[in-house]
Amino acid sequence: MSYDQVLSAYPRDGLELRLIERFTSLRNKRVLEIGCGDGRLTLQYAPVASSVLAFDPDRASIEEAAWQQADRGIDNVDFRVGSIEQLADRGARFDVALFSWSL
Amino acid sequence: MVHALQRAGRRLSPGGMLISLRPHRRWRPTVAITAPGYRLPIARLVNPAFEGNLRSADSALDRVVDEGWFTAAGTRSSRYRIFLQRPSQMRTYLELINPPRPRFPPGGRARLFALWNSAPPGARIEVTEYLVITVLRRR
Repeated sequence: MSYDQVLSAYPRDGLELRLIERFTSLRNKRVLEIGCGDGRLTLQYAPVASSVLAFDPDRASIEEAAWQQADRGIDNVDFRVGSIEQLADRGARFDVALFSWSL
Repeated sequence: MVHALQRAGRRLSPGGMLISLRPHRRWRPTVAITAPGYRLPIARLVNPAFEGNLRSADSALDRVVDEGWFTAAGTRSSRYRIFLQRPSQMRTYLELINPPRPRFPPGGRARLFALWNSAPPGARIEVTEYLVITVLRRR
């Protein structure tokens, strides 16, 4: 058992994406993600998405997400500190809105 | 939550998908001691405050469908398991979860420690978590 497995309360990589893909593909989609946390899920699907705008209110989590993004060379994700309340009513449209473990 | 769903809906293209991934409201996490050919259920974790949040989320998803923002595209449940090497790791595991955190029911933690002492060699602690995905389509 790896250290990471012990220290995560979330599913292993891939499970959530397999569930999502039963309904829709994220390939080439413009994705809005609410509650992205440290980007754990975001950075799994970002390589196939067209673009991602991802919010989380926790600054430390967003900083971790941005670090992970840079480390993996992924450049199509805009991580922002905040909530969906910061999203203007008007603007570019998204194909998918993902509420990931956020209630 | 309704407001957040509506706000997301305003920025979705017609036919766009809203996806909610969240813990399952009725199937709460369970803890068991396992080894090859051996599985001993210990407890179902409880979290009354969080269960209220989950009820609210379910209600909000129903409401935006009822109000005509979205049509229901489907829902599906799944589960996953986390394995711990010893009871002391339960505390670490629970502390990883954002508050309000689940806890053992009365006597549950003591039962885990007591039964761990008689578990077969190579036993592990298995935490089974359940999740649900709900997908709505923007009208």
